[in-house]
Amino acid sequence: MNLLTHTLDSLWQVVLVGLLLGAGLPSLFALGVRALDTGRGSDGTPNPAARTAAVLCFAVVACAILAGILLLASDFLAGTFGIDIF
Amino acid sequence: MVGVRRTGRVSRRDAEFTPPSLYIHVPTTPQSTDVTAEFVVLLVVVVTALAFDFTNGFHDTGNAMATSIATGALKPKTAVTLSATLNLVGAFLSVEVAATVAKGVVDLDTVGGTDLLLIVFAGLVGAILWNISTWLFGLPSSSSHALFGGLVGAALASIGVQGVVWDGVLGKVLIPAVLAPVIAALVSTVGIWSMHRLTRSVSNEHRDRGFRLGQIGTASLMSLAHGTNDAQKTMGVIFLALVAHGTITADTDMPFWVKVACAVAIALGTYLGGWRIIRTLGKGLVEIAPPQGLAAESSSAAIILTSSHFGLPLSTTHVATGSILGTGLGTKGAEVRWSVARRMVVAWVITLPCAAVVGATCWALAHLIGGMPGVLVVFAILCALAVFMWLRSRRQPVDASNVTADWDDKLAPAPGASETVTGEGRS
Repeated sequence: MNLLTHTLDSLWQVVLVGLLLGAGLPSLFALGVRALDTGRGSDGTPNPAARTAAVLCFAVVACAILAGILLLASDFLAGTFGIDIF
Repeated sequence: MVGVRRTGRVSRRDAEFTPPSLYIHVPTTPQSTDVTAEFVVLLVVVVTALAFDFTNGFHDTGNAMATSIATGALKPKTAVTLSATLNLVGAFLSVEVAATVAKGVVDLDTVGGTDLLLIVFAGLVGAILWNISTWLFGLPSSSSHALFGGLVGAALASIGVQGVVWDGVLGKVLIPAVLAPVIAALVSTVGIWSMHRLTRSVSNEHRDRGFRLGQIGTASLMSLAHGTNDAQKTMGVIFLALVAHGTITADTDMPFWVKVACAVAIALGTYLGGWRIIRTLGKGLVEIAPPQGLAAESSSAAIILTSSHFGLPLSTTHVATGSILGTGLGTKGAEVRWSVARRMVVAWVITLPCAAVVGATCWALAHLIGGMPGVLVVFAILCALAVFMWLRSRRQPVDASNVTADWDDKLAPAPGASETVTGEGRS
């Protein structure tokens, strides 16, 4: 019974975060790709507003990947250099 | 001096009826006086553990890299090289103090010394043989489940029913195995659906170029995570073996050579590339284009990196497979090859019991023959079976050259299939 409640409790968190990061981030990335493409003028270069929006989208995704790497290395950094990130 | 102090602590603890623990038993109760034989057994166990690490590497290359290879984001050889490098780096990032292998699944605290070495050895042999057989059939199955299975079998055979923590088997192995593919499929279905909606107006060429780049990022993250999590398991096994032998105590830091050996073994395995499994995941389950690839990789990476923090450790293999399947479900008109999916599910269900049976058999065999000869006989059988299965695989080879050939419902593409594809492309 304890196991069941524990599992259910973990389950909704994993699903929620999974949807937020696992589906949300690639959607944001897709939004960036779209901004670059639709903002393209007749000469083929994207207009500044579209470019800024795209860069913003990609930056958020890049930050998330960086956070992922830091998460993996957090024990190592804490153990070796005494840096606590999370 | 230290030995005397420890003995004193043991007797005091015993007086309080504390259950015997591995840490106290091992250094104080050498069970055999034949030092050379004991050392040979330890050596064989360490080599076997590294062999498991190696199979772990090539078995799981596909989890991170299959979709990138399938969409052409990375050339097959580039993909495995990148993955191997990141596995190597990842392995050095893992610092978990290591007597925690299979903790909460097998109760190894009640045995020590040579008995423990034998259980660990038999468990590893079970896991390796299962990993190689599933690779032969191109089936992605969880290496952790195989290791748990092997150890459960060996523990059952030697200690008995009380040697297995059944709650742990249910909570750490069975429930996550059922939930992982479902959660992953849900996330990647939502992801691919929303990505398709957002990029409807974008030309395929621009869209695919962007998504391929994104795929490389997420695939790299997964490789790094794999090195960090999985090399650690083997480090734990070797640590356990060293403690059982009495070379180190449970309080010792992880020896550096163990880290290096495990990191190199998993990286070499990854570089070898489990092409048969990569092919099943990348071509067999669903047709993967760059959007599907990015959706699948993102879903897998997000779930694998976060799930253990929420107390629900999910197997990489199950998550990766579920994610890839989900992209098929979320794409209009895409075909999911359910027959392939069914074969995988069957493999998952029987992984634990099969590895357990092999583990138990190996333990019984080594135990019957006894001592160093027993271990050596089982090790020889392991080598023979591994070579046999490798030779079998040469009959239908899958390698970097034909891994992305069209799926024709067979694991290995018909000879010359890749040439045919290129030929059609040219005409």
